[in-house]
Amino acid sequence: MIKAIIKLENVWKIYQLDKVELLALRGIDLEIAPGGFVSIMGPSGSGKSTLLNMIGCLDVPTKGRVFLKGKDIARLSEDELAFLRGKTIGFVFQEFNILPNLTALENVTLPMIFQGASLTEREKRARELLISVGLKDRISHQPAELSAGERQRVAIARAFGNDPELVIADEPTGNLDSATGKKIMEILANFHKKQGKTIMVVTHDPNIANYSEKIINIQDGQIVADHQKTKQTLWPK
Amino acid sequence: MNFMEKIGEYFRLALRNLKSRHLRSWLTIFGIIIGVFLIIALISLSEGMKKSLMMQLRMLGGDLIFVMPGGELGDMMMAFLGGMELSDADIRTIERVRGVETVVVFPYAAEVARHEGTAKVTFLVGIAWDKAASILKEDMGYQTTEGGFPRSGKREILIGSLVPKEIFPGIGVGDNLVIKGRKFTVSGVLMSVGSKQDDSMIILDLDDFRAVTGKREGVQMAVVKPNPDFDVKTVVKNIETALEETRKRRMKEDAPAFSVITGETWSGLVENIMGIVQIVILAFASIALIVGGIGIMNTMYTSVRERTREIGIMKAVGAKNSAVLTIFLIESGIIGIVGGLGGTLLGIILAKSVEVYGQAHPMFYITASVDPGLIIFGLVFSLFVGCLSGFFPARRAANLKPVDALRRFE
Repeated sequence: MIKAIIKLENVWKIYQLDKVELLALRGIDLEIAPGGFVSIMGPSGSGKSTLLNMIGCLDVPTKGRVFLKGKDIARLSEDELAFLRGKTIGFVFQEFNILPNLTALENVTLPMIFQGASLTEREKRARELLISVGLKDRISHQPAELSAGERQRVAIARAFGNDPELVIADEPTGNLDSATGKKIMEILANFHKKQGKTIMVVTHDPNIANYSEKIINIQDGQIVADHQKTKQTLWPK
Repeated sequence: MNFMEKIGEYFRLALRNLKSRHLRSWLTIFGIIIGVFLIIALISLSEGMKKSLMMQLRMLGGDLIFVMPGGELGDMMMAFLGGMELSDADIRTIERVRGVETVVVFPYAAEVARHEGTAKVTFLVGIAWDKAASILKEDMGYQTTEGGFPRSGKREILIGSLVPKEIFPGIGVGDNLVIKGRKFTVSGVLMSVGSKQDDSMIILDLDDFRAVTGKREGVQMAVVKPNPDFDVKTVVKNIETALEETRKRRMKEDAPAFSVITGETWSGLVENIMGIVQIVILAFASIALIVGGIGIMNTMYTSVRERTREIGIMKAVGAKNSAVLTIFLIESGIIGIVGGLGGTLLGIILAKSVEVYGQAHPMFYITASVDPGLIIFGLVFSLFVGCLSGFFPARRAANLKPVDALRRFE
């Protein structure tokens, strides 16, 4: 059996809000195998962003265990986790989250700096990535000079900077119009198809989920359905 | 990528961050500039002052012993002001002490002198030429720029370097000066010894001084040249014991008050006083630098708050805590070192300007002592202040949890 990139074992996340306990995740078991394109769907407040933070190893569970490449993240130091996460997982956020005072190229090289890649290596790869997302003419532009869609493309290029096995996208098209959103999804789908990258998208938009091969529905902090995309679950494009 | 390359990358990121908030960065840097500027300017000027004072003291002669009335420092001030004097009996006692070669008395007084119709109060010093000329020349380093030393009994006088410049403009060798109706001829002009008072004096033969001032007895200071075969410290001790005994016996004094000091004691005294002055200066200037440091801390905390999301992003893409810490420390370090460079530069410019001004105006003796040690101190200290003030904000940034940092909308 192929080893899972991420494995969640009975993961609970409980937020203490004053005197009320908020159960964001309630006993999630999940494995992300290499090579898939998975969507996590659910209404707002269902816990999908919390789940995504768990899968992305950005947060630690209140209860249960998370394994990144077979390693229990609770046993890793913050620095070890940061390094391993930077190498294995790429992130695309709804708000793009690219650094405003760095150029497109520098934003893409950022994750590679923390992995210790050399300058020439970094710039070569970043250039290739920016070209592959269609930003050949925007390489040395500042984020302020880019449109929303272009910024998200920079973010995608950055997510693939360290050649990660898994790229997690949290509502990647949430701040974009539908035409731009579609282009963004096609770029992600392309990375999946051509390079066999594992992609995981959190969305509440069925059109976005359509790109994936597997859909996980989450409600009230629990997985209610985990199924391969079928005719029944396919929304009209 | 090795460690240094990594630091280089972080440095570039830090510089980018500072540039993107350049007004705030410069204002913060300005705060440090003021602090370092004060430290460098004040320390180099006070150090220069100390050096010129020590130089003047060296002119007093290393082996000479000075006997003055008054025991404590306060009494010494009284003696200078003319409140206490050594009697002729005291001088005779000193002359009899073992190890004493020559005793020269330096009485001084203020009297009106006239030259070509102008009358001014001058500072007169009486010296016995036959005994004292060699001590003045050889031990105390007095030299004439014009003319020569007076001959005894010829009513000749020596004038300080400031006399022809400020007191009686244009007076020179061969000119006459009238003091209390007696006419004197200038035989020489002294080279500056570096103090305003000494450079303004008019030196008369001791007998002339007595005649002019009407003071038959009593001097404010006696200079003793010890016999070279004796240890200076022993001679000092001998003088003290002898003076104490005679005074107790003759005048029935319980605690005779006089001071016997050497050039070395003087240097020590000056060094102590200047040391205290410098500590006070440093303390005040440091307050300015501490305020600058608080400015850095404030800027960095604001920066951490503003950039919480950026920190979250950096951590999400693999930045270790140490990387975030380093980037923020480099930022505050840059503020510190740039402020240090600016402050050092301005401080040196001010100190050197004061020195140039001092050279142009002979009244104003001051030099600036800018040694490389002080510059290095200024730079290292400002870097240290920068890093120290940046440390807590940087640690806060480094310890942010990526998920919390990303969630913040600020």
